[in-house]
Amino acid sequence: MSNTAPTPQTFSIKDAWKPLPGGFWRIEEAQHLLRRMTFSATPEAVTAALRQSPEQCVEEAFKPGAVMPKPEALSEFESTVHERYRKIYRDVEDPEEKRKLQRELRQEDNDLFREYAMEWFYYARDAENSAREKFVLFLQDVFVVERAKVKETYSLYNLQQTLRTGVIGNYPELCKQVSKEPAMIRYLDLVQNTARKPNENFARELFELFTLGEGNYTEADIKEAARALTGYRIKDRTEFYFQENLHDDRNKTVFGETGNWDGDDIIDLTFKQPAARTFLIRELIKFYLTEQAVPEAYIEALGEQWANHNFSLSYLIETFFQSRLFFHPAYRGNFVKSPIHFYIGLCQDLRLDIAPFDSRVLRSMDVMGQSFYNPPNVRGWLYGEHWINSTTISGRRQVVDYLFTPLNEKKLNGNEQRDLEKAREAERGNFLVTNERLKQVVGTGADDLAEHFTTYFITAPSRPSYRGALESILGDTTADGATQRIRNAMIALLQSPAYNLC
Amino acid sequence: MQNLPLTRREFIRGAGGLGFLAFSGVAPAFLARSALAQTPAPERDRSIFVIIQLAGGNDGLNTVIPYSNDQYYKLRPNLGLSNGLLNLNDDLALHPACSELHQLFQDGKLSIVQNVGYPNPNRSHFRSTEIWETASDSETFAREGWIGRYFDNTCAGAPDGSVDHDPCGIHVGDMIPQSYLSEKSHSLFGMKHRGRFDRGQDPADLAYEKLLQADHIEGNASYLQHTMMNTLVTERRVEQIIAKYKAEANYPGTKLAQSLKRVAALIHADMETRVYFVSQGGYDTHANQLTNHQRLLTELSAGMNAFQQDLNAHKKDDQVLTMTFSEFGRRPAENGSAGTDHGTAAPLFVMGSKVNGGLLGQAPELVTDVKKDLEYSTDFRGIYSSVLDKWLDVDSAKILGEKFEHVPFV
Repeated sequence: MSNTAPTPQTFSIKDAWKPLPGGFWRIEEAQHLLRRMTFSATPEAVTAALRQSPEQCVEEAFKPGAVMPKPEALSEFESTVHERYRKIYRDVEDPEEKRKLQRELRQEDNDLFREYAMEWFYYARDAENSAREKFVLFLQDVFVVERAKVKETYSLYNLQQTLRTGVIGNYPELCKQVSKEPAMIRYLDLVQNTARKPNENFARELFELFTLGEGNYTEADIKEAARALTGYRIKDRTEFYFQENLHDDRNKTVFGETGNWDGDDIIDLTFKQPAARTFLIRELIKFYLTEQAVPEAYIEALGEQWANHNFSLSYLIETFFQSRLFFHPAYRGNFVKSPIHFYIGLCQDLRLDIAPFDSRVLRSMDVMGQSFYNPPNVRGWLYGEHWINSTTISGRRQVVDYLFTPLNEKKLNGNEQRDLEKAREAERGNFLVTNERLKQVVGTGADDLAEHFTTYFITAPSRPSYRGALESILGDTTADGATQRIRNAMIALLQSPAYNLC
Repeated sequence: MQNLPLTRREFIRGAGGLGFLAFSGVAPAFLARSALAQTPAPERDRSIFVIIQLAGGNDGLNTVIPYSNDQYYKLRPNLGLSNGLLNLNDDLALHPACSELHQLFQDGKLSIVQNVGYPNPNRSHFRSTEIWETASDSETFAREGWIGRYFDNTCAGAPDGSVDHDPCGIHVGDMIPQSYLSEKSHSLFGMKHRGRFDRGQDPADLAYEKLLQADHIEGNASYLQHTMMNTLVTERRVEQIIAKYKAEANYPGTKLAQSLKRVAALIHADMETRVYFVSQGGYDTHANQLTNHQRLLTELSAGMNAFQQDLNAHKKDDQVLTMTFSEFGRRPAENGSAGTDHGTAAPLFVMGSKVNGGLLGQAPELVTDVKKDLEYSTDFRGIYSSVLDKWLDVDSAKILGEKFEHVPFV
């Protein structure tokens, strides 16, 4: 197989989605799988992967049953928020006081959001959750909601949890569940959508961004579908409920089929459309494999298999990640890591905990261009080279520099000092690369170190030219200043173009 | 320093491994642009804005002290200052550590805007800083900073950090300030506050450059390489300017003063950059405030003064306006650990040869209730709108979303 992108002429459609033959499962392939499916390919992970088949590897990475615990304070807030708002409306007369109390609730929610965001980073950094959480990120980039509009942290958590458990179900079912998530109901204005005054926002995005893609439905389909999706409400600020008398129960004609459809029926009808077989696969390829267009014939072939398996996401995941197309050399080492991938992967590669300072971590994400749960618009983030500009690159470099800079505890403000204490209690205090750690490799030959660094931190295409450069940076690793040179070499490598790719 | 490349062209010529670029798809455009790149003509009348962040929440009541008000001393039996005060008028005085700022005030080169804040103040460091930096109200969550939106309105986007132009904004420190975050992509540059250049370069940077000059394959790898090189070229230029700079004032060795010295060097070199951001930390004085705050204000006063004197001596003072801000002031009443907790409004300084000088805005009202916070009297966005309309010459409503009442410091 060559490095030129495959076409049906050079690489048969029949073979594209077959599992990689056993003989091809080597260190390179294991690294490719781990870096794309998760956030990093550490030596331990590669060794473990090679003891298994690709199939077992993928299966284990997505093994069902995972729940990211809901932060306690968030549960508490969710279970009381309705009552607390009601009290404000019912008991407080003074409008000034009313506003003040509402503000306090919002502020509380804001603090909970930051806590949740940090909890997510801790959770996703744990290698056994990484593949699934990355897939959750993928789904979040399909079912986009913006925190700026939704605001309620518990709704954001609940939507994410639905996506997380949905990974093992089938996609139409997940679409139905998402349509009933308060975060989505709020974000795409389903809550405004009533028989008397239909709002088409959700219906449009359901077709355009979740299932079919542009050009595969008519404006009339949207109008009619919106009527079917009426009556979706939120109860007690937290739960979905269906309000019969707001629902339009007359006949609707969508995709040429007429009936008294409800919201779920619309989703079933949508998945009878040919475009529904390929839409998500195209998104999957963009997120995991390449920014370049992949020949439609491949996508259609997988789409057909997927539809035959009832649009099962597990089937799609298992087929995709062990397929010959996925492992094609043309798709290796040329994919820009997203900021979240970069950040979590960096911590995993360096065996570090996530720094316990929410303002630093979350701000770094802002600067690198991927604010947690807050994409720029309903289209979600644009991947690939769109991540890269002078600001975001400086942001990535700063993140690396920070991990190699000793912490000046005196400079921390009160909150940060508390966070640091908590992290140490939770045994999450190891978040910087210390000189002591670097000293452990002093004396290892520069050639061996360069070999190790290039093997585990970057991908094959960049290795030959980087190896020599690294060796000369490392110099004599038994001579004075070796620790410093090792540190410099690592920083340089982690800031280099090659490390930003996978 | 030996012959470090200063343009992308030199970079490519000097770098052994880059000859191959001539054959890759991106090379021609990249080379052509480098060939066209010239040092921009210095624009000597460009107005420049320097922001000094006092991170942690500066105690306003011990910065501009209402010494004629008994209430102040009642609220602060241990922290209330009465000796060595630098009078501004019959009621207010500057902290004794601010002698240089006091002199600037008397010379009419320092405006003090009193009691600045915003409605429904937030007392979280992070959130309140975000509110100040995004110029949003306390209910709105914005990502873009107010300076970033100014860049969006005035600077052409430069997605690859093109060195055909200097950065729109430069900051000192390890994090891009949220004030600079924008919708479009602009060239921004961050520098360290110290580090000697005469010894040659930081070996960590040299290591990075070495890897950058290694062969990179076409596509994203070479796109990344180019973006990074462009940023490096700016870095080189900045380093040379700083290394060669002869300051005409005695800058103290503090981080703040050294940061400002670097800013002065870049201004002197007629960089196209319009906005600089530096930060001084440590204002979160929950305990033992007296000595800490004394030290912080000494650094601030001496640093700002050296900067202003330096600009004067280089005849750049007409071009530069410097403003301080802090996420919040502190509680009027002291706490039990000889410190103060997070509060609300506080005064800020605006310095420059072109400022109108004097005390502006209403002084805060002090009340007996020890739990009470100060009620702001000047909205910080009024200050921003004056800076935008009157100094940076851009319609403030476009940046801030609405018009705010100007504060007449310029």
